Parts: sequence; structure tokens; C-alpha cells
Amino acid sequence: MIKITNLEKFYRTEEVETIALNKLSMHVNTGEFVAIMGPSGCGKSTLLNILGMLDDPDEGSYVFNEIEVAHFNERKRADLRKHNIGFVFQSFNLIDELTVFENVELPLIYTGVPTAERVKRVEEVLDKMQIMHRRNHYPQQLSGGQQQRVAIARAVVNKPKLILADEPTGNLDSSNGNDVMELLTDLNEQGTTIIMVTHSEHDARYSHRIIRLLDGQTVMENIMV
Amino acid sequence: MLKNYFKTAWRSFWKHRATGFINIAGLSVGMASAVFIFIWVQNEYGFDKSQLDSQQIYRIKDYLSIDKSTTWVWESSPYSLGEEAKRQIPEVEALTRVQVVTYQPLYFNINGEFFPETTAAYVDNAWFDVFKNDFLSGNAIAFKQNPFSIILSESKAKKYFANQDAIGKIIRIDSVDYQVQAVVKDAPANSSFKFGVFIPVAARHADVKQKENELQWGNFNYLTFLKLKPGTDIKKTSVKLQNILDKHRDQKNLKIGLIKLTDMHFENDLQDSGIIHGDKKVVLIFVILGVLLLVIACINYVNLTTARASLRAKEVSIKKIVGAGRRQLFAQFIAESALISILALVLTIFIISIFLPVFNSFTERNFSLSANSSNLWLIMIGTLLVTVILNSIYPALLLSSFKPLNTFRGTSVLKMNDSMLRKGLVVLQFTFSIFLIVGVITIYRQLSFIRSQNPGYNRAQTMSFSVPWKTMHQLNDAKRKAVKSTIKQSLLQQAPIQAVSLIGLRSIQNNDNYSSGSADWDGRPKGFDPAISYFSVDRDYSKLVKLNFIVGRWFLDGKSDVHNAILNETAAKELNLHKPYIGQRFVSDGDTGVVIGMVKDFNYRTMHDKIGPVVFKNKNTEYNTNYLLKVAPNKQAEAIKAVEAIWKQNFPGLPFNYSFLDQEFDKIYRNDAKSSRLMSVFALVAVVISCLGLFGLAAFTAEQRGKEIGIRKVLGATVSGIVSLISVDFIVLVIVALVLASPLAWWLMNIWLQNFVYRVEMQWWVFLLAGIIAVLIAFLTISFQAIKAALANPVKSLRSE
Ligand SMILES: Nc1ncnc2c1ncn2[C@@H]1O[C@H](COP(=O)(O)OP(=O)(O)O)[C@@H](O)[C@H]1O
Ligand SMILES: [Mg+2]
Repeated sequence: MIKITNLEKFYRTEEVETIALNKLSMHVNTGEFVAIMGPSGCGKSTLLNILGMLDDPDEGSYVFNEIEVAHFNERKRADLRKHNIGFVFQSFNLIDELTVFENVELPLIYTGVPTAERVKRVEEVLDKMQIMHRRNHYPQQLSGGQQQRVAIARAVVNKPKLILADEPTGNLDSSNGNDVMELLTDLNEQGTTIIMVTHSEHDARYSHRIIRLLDGQTVMENIMV
Repeated sequence: MLKNYFKTAWRSFWKHRATGFINIAGLSVGMASAVFIFIWVQNEYGFDKSQLDSQQIYRIKDYLSIDKSTTWVWESSPYSLGEEAKRQIPEVEALTRVQVVTYQPLYFNINGEFFPETTAAYVDNAWFDVFKNDFLSGNAIAFKQNPFSIILSESKAKKYFANQDAIGKIIRIDSVDYQVQAVVKDAPANSSFKFGVFIPVAARHADVKQKENELQWGNFNYLTFLKLKPGTDIKKTSVKLQNILDKHRDQKNLKIGLIKLTDMHFENDLQDSGIIHGDKKVVLIFVILGVLLLVIACINYVNLTTARASLRAKEVSIKKIVGAGRRQLFAQFIAESALISILALVLTIFIISIFLPVFNSFTERNFSLSANSSNLWLIMIGTLLVTVILNSIYPALLLSSFKPLNTFRGTSVLKMNDSMLRKGLVVLQFTFSIFLIVGVITIYRQLSFIRSQNPGYNRAQTMSFSVPWKTMHQLNDAKRKAVKSTIKQSLLQQAPIQAVSLIGLRSIQNNDNYSSGSADWDGRPKGFDPAISYFSVDRDYSKLVKLNFIVGRWFLDGKSDVHNAILNETAAKELNLHKPYIGQRFVSDGDTGVVIGMVKDFNYRTMHDKIGPVVFKNKNTEYNTNYLLKVAPNKQAEAIKAVEAIWKQNFPGLPFNYSFLDQEFDKIYRNDAKSSRLMSVFALVAVVISCLGLFGLAAFTAEQRGKEIGIRKVLGATVSGIVSLISVDFIVLVIVALVLASPLAWWLMNIWLQNFVYRVEMQWWVFLLAGIIAVLIAFLTISFQAIKAALANPVKSLRSE
């Protein structure tokens, strides 16, 4: 599904140039559950953002579903993204002004799903995430674990082929964290490819494969059994 | 999708409702002002255009050349010219004429009660065929058949006959009974013909002498309208008219022209006119003002929205990540601005319905807010659209262009130039406001300058009335003099009346009569015939009006001074009289005497006009029909009663009409007073809108710098220190605005002052005062927020971070 080769990304500020990704190559197959680990500042988030087409690389190639996307313009990337990729963030990133239902509904609105179909699909996914009873609440009225479930619901409501999760359990206690990991595993078992950044060896164990990064380069790959 | 946009828009509005209400309040005030202005502007441009066949109707216009450099342009023509034109020129489809009653009101006598009527017009039989009038009751047939007929407008019918049926009612004018034959709808706001009373020309012509007089080719009494066949060559028709006129007049000093009915409103070369006209320049100024008011109202929305942009960055970014395209986000922000603008429009309609009567009386039109006044609604919709566009383009562009990643990384989403833009817009608002404040002060100064000129008498204690010309005219000279003198004697016997003078001027405040060519004096170059205003007075005039003598004396009792003259300074100077002035020969109208005195210049015309040569004469001519009375302090009511009683003895059955000079004074400067009021309203609106914006921005700043303020307080900052910390940035903007506004205001207000020959000078302290006012208002606005922030418990603001 994903194949990147010699990917490079620089950040330039006035004085310093940071190399966030340094000739990084890797691939992810359809249906895989991959964990990315590494110390703070090693480029994990940068990588995830490029994979998620929120950002573009400076050098190298990124093939997504057999299409070279490295130099797609913003419009094309957005189009590809909204039909194929779901995001889960450490800080949930829900819109405070919208209810649980409306937050989850949002991606469907932007992909032009008709109203009746939207209601059906949102209810379905809320049910699956067991937060149906909170559908009319606002994010601030929910616990962290509940918020992250809403975020996951929003990420999956469009039935994406790929889910990118950046430290999804980082703001949660261990029991809520485990719930989230179970949810992701379930999704993976139903066929969704998952790439997850984490600091927790415990969480990484839910994955099939761990990619370890250091200074923007792959240092090790562990296959989980 | 649209529903979703408005739902989010509503939520976002409700969440920031304080800002929202500031936006709506400012917008609606701006929109209401703009709508009012545009209603008026649209009406000005649409004058007479809704008239049936308006494109085919023309009015005859005359250019009378007086000398090489002067041409008098008249709107009225000889009655017979129309008649002949209709007979001889084939392309003339229809002809109609009107004589507008302007000089003196008609006095309506209804069941013994007198009403002065100033909106009357004599129309010929074709009037109601050429110009569309809606007959509410009755018709034009009886009006055409019977010369002594009247057609009333709806409001006049209501005025004179309340709720009764006006048809068949009798109105007596000068001892002739007229019968009301029909009632027509009031003229629309965009009609040049705002007549309330129509009388057939036939009624004038029933008097054989008058008819003979009016049919003469030298009498230019009628506005003459020709309806021409479509496609007529106007130049050729004018030539034909010229030929007809030239055949009947010996002098060939008059050129004929034609003006289209729809161009008549902005006709500005007429010497005098009986109908209302507009001024294109003024209309343009109002268009600019209207747009500017709308713009400064929209600035608030733009500023408050972009100021809060960083707060919305997260929302925008998430939406982008989950799939929102730029166009969709753009649409969302347009929807938000549309929502605010629509809410503001609702309030605007409310404001308009409240202020419409004030607006109508101010503009002297009758606009209505009914569902079928399509123009009004078009203007409202147009204003709404412009508002939405002005409001949304920039914020929508700015917000929809966020790069989502930047937001999450916490890098600033707003570039530096964005806050510069916001400051620039605030400066623009205050530049406009300060300009208007300078305008208000300048106009006020000029008007009080006018008021402060001492005319030599107390206006409130000076009353005037005229004896009826027609009645007096029927008497012989001796009898006439006797009647006038009897009246004067009886007036003097009244306790509340302190002095009486009989003069030959209709007004001593706005006397624009002058004549040339009848004066002579020693040393006058041949052909030098300056225009001189003659003050035909009596000896007692000096008891009413204090004149300052430079040399010489006032008229003496008895016959000795009846041929002599007193000049004002300008007369002595401009006529180039030999020195010493006293004793010089002076001839006027064949009456030879000597100069016996010279007085300081005094104001006998408006301040718009230059003081010219004035000559006082002490000759009791038949034209001396106006009495000037000096009334004892606070005895005005008694004086009126006493004069009225004397009037009734001498002129039973005739209407008594009088005025006090302060009322007349107010009338003379009515338009200037209007400008002053209008300027004040605009200034108020601009200042209110600008301050609303400033209030919102200050609130935002206080909120944003809450943590900083908390820390500073913990470290020992005082309340006043914090207030000035927040205020100083804004005050600087107001001062920049002052610097920008000053030259602009200087220039434009000087142009306005050019309207007056006698005027104040622009003074530097006016700008200082305007600046102080603006800074003070701005500071009060900001300090409310600043003090609130400074007084907040620092623990609170620090914890919430
Ligand atoms: N917008 C940016 N501007 C400058 N440097 C950045 C930016 N984003 C990330 N970096 C730098 O790039 C490197 C990788 O960052 P990141 O991918 O966020 O690391 P991680 O997620 O592994 O902690 C770090 O050194 C970081 O400081
Ligand atoms: Mg990271």
C-alpha cells in the first residue's frame, strides 16, 4: 500500500536547518498494523504527516496505492486524503462547537454523502465505539477516553483504507489506553491498515511490526509474533 | 450543506455573541444610514422617470442675453408660444402649461377661515392628459369645463376637509368661489410637480385684463411642456420654436432651447425656479458618504473576525484534515458573514421604520416602507449583498488559507501584515470620524458667526406685515397715503408697539432686489451703471434699525429730505463718489437730491452674498407697503393681537399675515442649518460605529493578554499602568488618524466655506479639538475593557492557562 524511498524533509528557520527525515525508506503492506517508535524529535510526526499527505517531502518518492504522490498539489492530496485516510491524534482534536454526532459526521459532509446515509453511518460507528448515548454531548462534556473514541469514530466513519494515529494513547490513563488499542486492533482485523506512532512498548505490542527511528533514519525493524 | 454552514455559523455566533452583537449593532447602524442615503440618491436620479412617456416630454427653456457676459436662463415661456407651437409644429403631439404660484401664497377662505396655500399651480386643460395622476375621486372633465374648479391632492383634501368628502366643497380665493371637482393621489417622491392644489388657467383668464396681459409675447409666465413624437430631432424643433418666437418679438435677444423632462431635476442654470431641483455634486457627495459609512461598518466585522482568527485556527485545521476543501471553508465563512449581515438587516429595517418619518420631514419627500416599494427593497438587498461581500472576502480568504500543520505546531497562523491591516482599517475609520467631527465644528462655527453678526435690531422683537397690494392699488395716491398713515398712527397707539416704520422692502434681511441704470452722480463715467439696492424707508426706520454713521446724518422731519440719499460705505466706494461725500449730487429714478450721510456696511443679504452698494431714500412711494414694528420685550402675543385688530378694521375679510424677523432669519439659513444637522448625524454614526469596533478589539486584546496582565499584576503593576498598557496602542492609531484627517478636512471644509462671502477662517485649534474629542471618546471606549482586565483577579487568568 505504501512505499517510500529516500524520503527527505528539512525544516529551515532563520539560522538553522533541521533534517527531520534523512533518506528514509520503508514500506507498509495493505492490512498491516505498524508501530513507529523513537525518541522525541526523531521525526515520527513528520513522517506521519507526510504519509497522511498533510505535508510534502523535499526529496524522495512516496507511492501510495501505486500512485506517486510526492509532488501532488494541495488540492489533489486533499482529495486522495479524504477518501482514503483517517487520523487520530494525541490531543483528540475535536471541534468544541460541534456535538459528538456532528464531529463524526463532518468527514461524510465533505465527501458529499447524503443526509439519510450520513445519519445511518454515524449511528453505526458511534454504536460500535459505544458512545451512542453521548451523541448530543459536546467534547468538553466527555472524559479523555470518550473523546478519543469519538476521534476514532470520526477517523473511521468514511471507511478509510489507512488510519494514521499519532500517540493515540498519550493523553489517556492505562485502562482507557487499552480500550483504544483494542478498538484499533479490531479495525485492523476488519482490514484497515494502521500506522501508529507511540512511545509505549506496551501499546506497540498490539502491532505486527515496529519501525524504530533515530534522527530521521530507520535503525531497526522488529517483526512481532 | 448550506444548512450545515448556517448551523455552524449560528453556533459560532452564539459562542462569541458579545462580539456578534457589536458586529450587528455597528453593521445595522451603518446599513441603515447607507440605505437612507441610497433611497434619497436613487430618488434624485429617478426624478420624473416614472412619468408616463417621460422620454418624449420636453420643456421650453429661454436664454435671454442681457449683456456680453450675462445670460438669464428662464424656465417659463409666453403662454402663446405653446399655443402656436401646437398649431404650427407637426411633431408636437401634445402641449400643456403650468404656472406655479410661488411669489405669494394663495389665501384659501374656507367657511370664513383663512389658510395660506403655497403648493398651488394653474394648469391648462391638457395637464391631466399629459401627466399621469391617479384620481381617487372625481375626474378632470368638470375641471376642464368649469374655470372655477379645484383639484386637491389627497393630503390637501385631508387637511382642509378632514374625513369629509371633499368633492363639491367650496373654497373662496379673493372673493371668487371655487368648487372642488376631484381628489388625486399625492405626487410620488420622485416627481418634480409636488402640487397640492390645481386650478384651471381658465380661472386666470376669466379676468379679461389679466388674460390680455398673459397672452402678450413679452410675458414669460408659463412652464410649457411639449410631448413630441418619438424620434423627433430636438434641434430642428427648437429652431421652429425660435422662428415662431422671433416672428412675434421685436428684440432678437432670446434663444429658445428644449430640456427633457427627465433632465429637469438637475437643471442648474436657471435664474429662478418654481419647482424643486437637485444638485448632482451633492448627490455624488452623498453616494461617497453612504459607501464610506457602509465600509467603516464592515471594517468592524473584518477586524473582529480576523482578530479572532487564531482562535478558530484549530477548528479550521481539523476540518481540513478530515476533508474540507478550501472552497467549502470559504463558503462557510461567507455563510457566517451572511448570517450576521442578515441579522443586521433585520435590525436595519427596524431602525429605518423608526426613523423614516424623521427622514421624510428632513428630505421633504414621502418615502414609505411598504411591501410594494420595490426600489426600497432593491436598495436593501443591494446593501446587504455589498455588506456580505465587504465583510466576508478578507476573513474568508485568510481563514480558509490556513495550513493545518502550522496550527498544530503552534506557529503563528497570522502573518505580521494582518495586524497591520487591522490597524490600518481602524485608522481609516477614525480618519473618517475625525473628518466629520471637524466638519461639525466648522459648520457650527460658521453658523454661530452668522448669528453673532449684529444686524442693529433685535430679530425676536421685530415684526413685519404688508398691506394688501391689490386693495391699495385700487385707491388713488392721496387716499392710499392717508390709509397707510392712519394705520401707522393706530399702530403707534398700541402699548406693546414701540416704533413703526413703513418701508418699500419685502425683507431687510434678505433683500436681493437691485436695479441699475437709473442712478447718476457727478463724475459718473458714461455707461457705468452698477447694480444698486434701494432702501425705500421713512424717517422712523432709524428708530427700529440702528445704523452706524461714518459721516453725515439721518433724514430730517418734514419735506426737506425727500429727494436726498444716504449711502453705505460700499456704495461710496464702488460708485467712486467725489469726496467729501456729503453734499454730492445724487440722482435716482429721475429724482435729484444730495448725499446727506454715509453709514457703515450692514448685512441686508445672506452671508452667502457680497454686500453691494445700498442707497437709502426717504420717499413714501406706492411701493412702501411693508410695516416694520418694534415690539416691547416679551409682548409679542399682545402685539400680534393688537395689529390683527387694526388689520380687521382696515381690511375686513382679508387674511392677516405677519412674521417675526427671527423666523425669517431661520428660514434664510434653513439649508445651512440642515447641513449642520446632517453632518452631526453622520459624525455621530461614524463615531458610534468606530467606537463599537474599538470596543470589540480592546476586549479581544484584554482577553488575549490576560495571562500577561496577570503576571504583571503579580509582579506589582498598578491598575493605571495596565490600563495605559492596553490603551496606548489604540490611542496611537487615533492620533495617526488625526494627522491623516486634518489636511483632508482642511481642504474640504474650505471648499464648503467658499459658499459664504462672509465666513470664519479654518483654525488650527479646531483640529486639536476634534483630535481631543476623538482621543477622549476612544479612550473611554477602550478603558472600559482595560479597567475590567486590570481589575481581574490575576490568579484566575493565570490558572486558566
Ligand atoms: N515546523 C517545524 N519547523 C522547524 N522544525 C521542525 C518543525 N517541525 C518539526 N521540526 C523539527 O523536526 C524534527 C522532527 O520533529 P517531529 O517529527 O515532530 O519529531 P517527533 O514527532 O518524533 O517528536 C525535530 O527536530 C523538530 O524540532
Ligand atoms: Mg511527535
